[in-house]
Amino acid sequence: MALAIDVASGLLIAAGSFFILVGALALFRLPDVYTRAHGTSIIDTAGAGFLILGLMLQAGFTLVTLKLLFLLAISFFTLPVIGHALARAALHEKIAPKLAEDRRGRGRNSAGDGA
Amino acid sequence: MESLINMVLLTLLAATTIAIVGQRSLLGVVILASVYSFLMASVMIVLDAVDVAMTEASVGAAISTVLLLGALHLTKTREEAPRHGRLLPLLLCAAVGAMLVWGTLVLPPFGTPDAVIHQHVVPRYINETVRETGSPNIVTAVLADYRGFDTLGETTVIFIAGIGVMLLLGGLRRRDRAQDSAAEDQR
Amino acid sequence: MFAGAAAAILVALALAVLRAIKGPTVFDRALAGNTVGSLAILLLAVFGFLTGRPEFLDIGITYGLLNLIGTLAVLKFFRHGDLAYDPEEER
Repeated sequence: MALAIDVASGLLIAAGSFFILVGALALFRLPDVYTRAHGTSIIDTAGAGFLILGLMLQAGFTLVTLKLLFLLAISFFTLPVIGHALARAALHEKIAPKLAEDRRGRGRNSAGDGA
Repeated sequence: MESLINMVLLTLLAATTIAIVGQRSLLGVVILASVYSFLMASVMIVLDAVDVAMTEASVGAAISTVLLLGALHLTKTREEAPRHGRLLPLLLCAAVGAMLVWGTLVLPPFGTPDAVIHQHVVPRYINETVRETGSPNIVTAVLADYRGFDTLGETTVIFIAGIGVMLLLGGLRRRDRAQDSAAEDQR
Repeated sequence: MFAGAAAAILVALALAVLRAIKGPTVFDRALAGNTVGSLAILLLAVFGFLTGRPEFLDIGITYGLLNLIGTLAVLKFFRHGDLAYDPEEER
């Protein structure tokens, strides 16, 4: 039974770490503010969710699990809201999103002949 | 593992500091300062100082950010270009820093139990804390009981500073509003 | 396995700090600052389990709430230019 819990929590923690890495890579490499906001939401929901679930399995039925659950609830609900607020504020400042056509030179933001 | 975490966090701290110095836009400086605070609080947790970490996080990451933003509202958000050269101040800072580092080379290594500072009151604190104060945390007992007057003084100073900031930022807005309504009455 | 999770979180922290330093607009930096805060919370939780002392989670809850307040203050300042903006005073 303990081995099953260990294996399950190990898998969950590994999944959480993978999503955290993916989200951070998205934050670093994607070209635009709006696309980078996707990356941070991945870290906050999938990454934090799997990681904290794995840690809860490790801790068993103690007060620590309750605190982890509270942490998960806070993280789950507030951090994506912040991401959305940031995207909305960026839109209010009229930061134009980079469209795929811009990169090929045919969009409305670039000097092409298809305007 | 802990030393690896420490090393990575301290490297990130150094990178953030260099970026803060090189920034021109003050809004970016404010956000980078809050990033610095979070990293510093993580370093403090790795070093086992949990209450200091909580204070650092709440003061540095939230309150300091909000206060700096309120101050930025009263001034402009872009730093001006420096008017005099920067080589001489840089050399001066480097020289003073080198002298300080040279001064620390003669200190005993971090955490030796028979260093001079651990011989006077520390044995009494370690032996008598639980019996005299009832608190299992020696640091908290020192802060709140053995050195309680220091903490009282600190709290007073912080309250005065907070009231001063509130008066400065709040009074200015009321004066602005009074000026606006006086200007409107004149029309 | 905790060591692996801690290593992944450290790599993610490095990437987020790099974005905070590089990001051309303020919103990139605010996004990266928010991410640094939430990664610090996760590092805290994993570190508590790594050293066998999971009592650090209270600080994690504090960080979570402070992260929210700090980022919303930055956004409010950027949108209205004033931290005590009252929509009813405008009319």
